[in-house]
Amino acid sequence: MILPIGPIHPSLKEPLRLKLKTQGEKVLSAEIDYGYVHRGIERIMKGKTWQKGIYLSERVCGICSYIHTQTFAETFESIAGERAPLRAQYLRVLTNELDRIQSHLLANSTYFKAIEHETLFMYMLYLREPVMDAIELLTGNRVNMGWNVVGGVRMDVKQTHMDSIMKIMLKLESEFERYVEMFEKGPLVGLRSHDVGKMTRDEAIKARAVGPIGRASGLEHDLRENHHTYKDHLDLKVIWRKEGDNFARNMNRFDEITQSINLIKQVIEDLPEGDIRKKIDIPAGYGDWRNEAPRGEVTYTVETNGNLIKNISIRTPSIMNIDACAKYMFNDVATVSDAVATYASVDPCIACTERVVIVDESGKTREFDYPNYPKI
Amino acid sequence: MLDALKDVIRKSSIHVCLINTGGCNGCDIEVVALLSPRYDLEQYGIYVHNNPREADVILVAGAVTEQWREKLQRIYAKVPEPKIVVAIGNCPLSGDVFNQEGSSVYAPVSDYIPVDAEVSGCPPRPSEILAAILSIGPNAIAARGRQKL
Repeated sequence: MILPIGPIHPSLKEPLRLKLKTQGEKVLSAEIDYGYVHRGIERIMKGKTWQKGIYLSERVCGICSYIHTQTFAETFESIAGERAPLRAQYLRVLTNELDRIQSHLLANSTYFKAIEHETLFMYMLYLREPVMDAIELLTGNRVNMGWNVVGGVRMDVKQTHMDSIMKIMLKLESEFERYVEMFEKGPLVGLRSHDVGKMTRDEAIKARAVGPIGRASGLEHDLRENHHTYKDHLDLKVIWRKEGDNFARNMNRFDEITQSINLIKQVIEDLPEGDIRKKIDIPAGYGDWRNEAPRGEVTYTVETNGNLIKNISIRTPSIMNIDACAKYMFNDVATVSDAVATYASVDPCIACTERVVIVDESGKTREFDYPNYPKI
Repeated sequence: MLDALKDVIRKSSIHVCLINTGGCNGCDIEVVALLSPRYDLEQYGIYVHNNPREADVILVAGAVTEQWREKLQRIYAKVPEPKIVVAIGNCPLSGDVFNQEGSSVYAPVSDYIPVDAEVSGCPPRPSEILAAILSIGPNAIAARGRQKL
């Protein structure tokens, strides 16, 4: 029997259609329909300046909106062969890690909601609000921050802001462990999470899983290791686990939050003095840049004529993770409610994924023809 | 007598369904933030269920994409009377940054379904969304419930 879930469904936050093939209560396989949030961002960006493009790139995804602007800016900086001033790089790390903490807390809260553990769901949101306050204090907005520009960041910070953020981080750290322990050692939560939705390392490689989902299956891969700021100035160790089940994915995110708090402390302690922005002349050229978003690897490929964006391609992590979920995690799920929990554990972000490229069988790429959009 | 009783019940238990018709999901996470202990939506008797068949208030977030043009009306028809629609964010009002040449969005959302309240912002703060639901929700639902009877 085919069980359709979505596009609007109590367990889904964003529109998506899951078609679960079931036998009794057991889920045999799954199929996923996308396309509900396709807005044509890449196409709008073409022929615009970067000042307009960066505004659009922020709205690729609301949850990880920060990393999109950083990657966009760093792509242009790499085309010009320059880097932002060191103080700006540090401030980018600070905002990035704050964004990662709130995104991971939100992802875990969604998972706890999916396994009907309302208490932990509320605790996660309770922890998240002070982090949103820190982001608002630093950048002036809660979600779409507008913090990055090509060549640096938009605003400088004051010492009082830094003290407040440090205070928020210390409070988060002191409260955090109790809730992690509730999840790690709680018998009820363990029953619903251990050995559910397993994905082995080989399967993760085949499905190209990235981010915490890949790392929970044993892929020791974090792009922050290769990023120049993290590599040269900060102390970072890749966190990964072997189990590859729902429990591992959530614990991996919890451990990364602890690491992000440490990174923020390092940044606040050794924040260098200097400029926050410098003028960069962008030549005509072609470049790409990869960064670690909260959900995994995000890639921007840009072709510019020095002033306007000629061509842009955005690759976000969610598309690989959702496909990994549909193909490999849904194979041995005992019940439909476990399938929904497994789907929530991969931290799906539908707004990220919606991009279209049609590849001809001859290998030729052509653009989507909007006026003759096929009726689905 | 029965009407007065129904008014009380309709005002004190409002079920919300969130429909993202093609935005950046920034507004969605602000609605999720409303559930947090700081804002505590449920103390006002508002419950986010995401189920159109039992909803009283529909929150629409997002410019309308191609797939949603027909489906939005179909979902609206499934919501039982009395119902109100609140548009959250700039996208359902004007399409925001997505409403440019070459895009595949068809804003505003009021072309497809009647909108009762609009909250602008990209995204609006959780307290603004809450204020919008509270300012129109209970009284409008009660008034419309009487009209239909």
